[in-house]
Amino acid sequence: MSGRLALGCAVLVASFTACDRAPGGTYTTGNESARGGTVVIATGVDITGVNQLTGGGSRFEQDILDQLFLSLFQEQPDYAEHPPTFEPELAQDYTWSEDGKTLRLLLRPGIEWSDGVPITAADVVWTYTAQVNPEVAWEEAQSKDAIERVVAFDDHTVEFRFSEVYSSRLSDLNEGVILPKHAWSKLPFSEWRGNETWFLDNLVVSGPFMLARLQPQQQIVLERNENHFRQGYPKLDRLVFRVIPNRTNQVEHLLAGQVDFVEHVLPKRAADVERSGRTDLISKWHRQYTYIGWNGCQGLFEDASIRKAMTLAIDRESIVKALWGESARPAVSPILTSVWAFNPDLVPWPYDPDAARRLLAKAGWGDDDGDGYLDKDGRKFSFELATNGDNQIRADVAVLVQEQLRKIGVEARVSLLEFNSLWARHQSHGVDAIISAWGIDTSLNLTYAFHTDSIEDGKNYGCYSNAQVDELIALARRPARPEDAAPPLHRIQEILHEEQPYTFLWEPMRHYGVSKKVKNAQPNPLSAYFNLDEWWLAPVSS
Amino acid sequence: MTGFLLRRTVTAILVIGIVLTLAFFAVHLAPGDPTTRYLDARMSQAQQDQLRHALGLDRPLPEQYVRWLGSVVLRADLGFSFTHNRPVTRVLADHLAPTAVLAITALLIQFGVGILLGALAARRQGSLTDRVVRWLSLILYSTPHFWLGLMALLLLSYRAGWFPASGISSIEALDWGAWSSPRRLLDTAHHLVLPASVLGLAMAGGVTRFVRNSLLEVGHEDFIRSSRAAGVGEGRILWVLALKNALVPVIQIAGLSLPYLISGALVTEVVFSLPGMGRLAYSAILARDYPVILGATLLAATMVVCGNLLADLGHAAVDPRVRREIAHRG
Repeated sequence: MSGRLALGCAVLVASFTACDRAPGGTYTTGNESARGGTVVIATGVDITGVNQLTGGGSRFEQDILDQLFLSLFQEQPDYAEHPPTFEPELAQDYTWSEDGKTLRLLLRPGIEWSDGVPITAADVVWTYTAQVNPEVAWEEAQSKDAIERVVAFDDHTVEFRFSEVYSSRLSDLNEGVILPKHAWSKLPFSEWRGNETWFLDNLVVSGPFMLARLQPQQQIVLERNENHFRQGYPKLDRLVFRVIPNRTNQVEHLLAGQVDFVEHVLPKRAADVERSGRTDLISKWHRQYTYIGWNGCQGLFEDASIRKAMTLAIDRESIVKALWGESARPAVSPILTSVWAFNPDLVPWPYDPDAARRLLAKAGWGDDDGDGYLDKDGRKFSFELATNGDNQIRADVAVLVQEQLRKIGVEARVSLLEFNSLWARHQSHGVDAIISAWGIDTSLNLTYAFHTDSIEDGKNYGCYSNAQVDELIALARRPARPEDAAPPLHRIQEILHEEQPYTFLWEPMRHYGVSKKVKNAQPNPLSAYFNLDEWWLAPVSS
Repeated sequence: MTGFLLRRTVTAILVIGIVLTLAFFAVHLAPGDPTTRYLDARMSQAQQDQLRHALGLDRPLPEQYVRWLGSVVLRADLGFSFTHNRPVTRVLADHLAPTAVLAITALLIQFGVGILLGALAARRQGSLTDRVVRWLSLILYSTPHFWLGLMALLLLSYRAGWFPASGISSIEALDWGAWSSPRRLLDTAHHLVLPASVLGLAMAGGVTRFVRNSLLEVGHEDFIRSSRAAGVGEGRILWVLALKNALVPVIQIAGLSLPYLISGALVTEVVFSLPGMGRLAYSAILARDYPVILGATLLAATMVVCGNLLADLGHAAVDPRVRREIAHRG
């Protein structure tokens, strides 16, 4: 019986070919960029649909939609030395009025939607009306707050009028892709929510790729848009985004040749990808920082010297080294080290528990009852340090911080919470201290977490309030030229460094894994798929 | 029998109604809401409120409940998914087939292997085979699904390369015509071997032990001894006479194992990246996609209730005492 069973299994296994392989074979190492072929990409998340204004808002979804639809400009990843530049995409040229409030924009002529209908200024105007429509409730609608009106003068000329002059006007104007008026205006805005199937059925695109197939939680297949305005691009025939939620599995797929690109290789697997011989590792500093946010709404962390003491008592250097190795570096500011406006004069606070003790003693905290923990007016220095339990690194950090603070007589009670529970409490200012992270854009508007107004209407959940910082944030936003915002941004960083509303922990590196047969892949912190239309496959040798 | 079915149907509807009502308030009262996932640093409170309004979440909870229940009962409309932005029925339909195929295959493996091993162990009670089967069933029963799945992936997919590691079809399968073509069906079967085996074998341990014990109990019955005395072969005694009687409680187990199968499928789908109901429900819970959570709950509750009903009917079909009792009650 058992023998027959084993034989059956062997026959079953033998009857199948070897498991999935990304289409390919033996590749030459020629430098001539070839056209054609399929690249398979592993993704941890799915897209919710093709309408950006009602979609899920994930970075990956945005990346896919950028392959289907054109924007007016493409932001460039050149923000290390100066404010980012914008390369024309759908736009061909633009001029600012003398008062800096009106932008006249000339669209590239002769561009068509995939169904052959020309793309005109009417599409741009209609897209704006959709973006700001309250029934559509686009999550990025606030980026259009300063735009008073958008007017089309002819098929190729459109004018944007701003209510004020500020540094990130172009970035705000460029937020969101341009949508097809002729195809999508048939559905009233009031019916946009809940009708993604309709948009899929009426999909026309302008980008380098078209949507060939969307299989929820399985794969997204894009194929070349022959109507794309860039002659000879994209190079690839087809892209298959395979949904593999587990990041470890993604890397195994890459190493086994079952996928060609992984956009997030965990640091502990980076060396495997580098050593494998069939894959390359590309590493870039990511646009994100992890922090401990101190709740200044309540008594304990209202005093800046207490927050500073916490920072001095946490050995950030060792924590980063232990958990990340070379894949992260300590953070010192909400403006990342890799960004042009970072203040290079900031000297990171050292790990100095004695200095922390002195600051706490000066504020009246001492171990009066001899139990090893500080107290003041009968109250023990004890607080809740919360983070989302599904993030193992943050959970580990919480334990390390707890141990380091214990050495100066401070009790941090670690709470690992479900993400929604954590943020619901945090949003109502109900968490003493939180370990979390912000992904930041290049507009460098620090209002979100550090302006007094954001306590009630923003992400300033720690109630940080400093009139000078409020003024400087406004000042940094005001210049017409983004580079003129450097002095106020530097000063803000100095104040935040001194007052420590956050203890800045680290800036991570992002590792991308790519098969050696894929050429010219240039992922960067703006997007892993920044130049996807220029990727090509090395020709197969017979 | 008609009265019995009518009573059970009414009870089932009541149970499902209570489950859905509890689920509705539980998910709505849980911390966070569907707008929590929009953690864009620049998104203002006003913008978040506008989004809540667009999704109908700013209405009082009792009003939301009445509206939702009304659309479910009167129009069979489960609403639209906040994350997929499509009708819930469409979203569920997209994810149901892989889970159904996985669950049915796993169920066949669970009871096929369980009955086979249980009978084998009972027939050779006290032998080395019996001890091996008992240990094996204990190991299978106590091993977490996810670990078994990860080991299967590591050894049979990544290392040996015999089976695909994820998904329900090959990338090239897109070019092979309709899903019902033999080549695509074979491809899907190939993808299902590992997840279905993991899920089925992990649950087969309990069935093995149950069948073994049932058979040993039946083995002491008078009719078995009489059959043996009459010269009936051991094979026929085991596989026909004893097993038929021993399977009566196993049928009950089959109905009751549906909830475990659903929860097991969730874990298995996450490990093997299968696009099924388990992963859908899991991501819906994390995203607080209330309509999808409730739709998935309705589906799971219906399956469990129907499973119980089928188990009772199956029990009645093989046990004349149960049939008599049902007839007596009307």
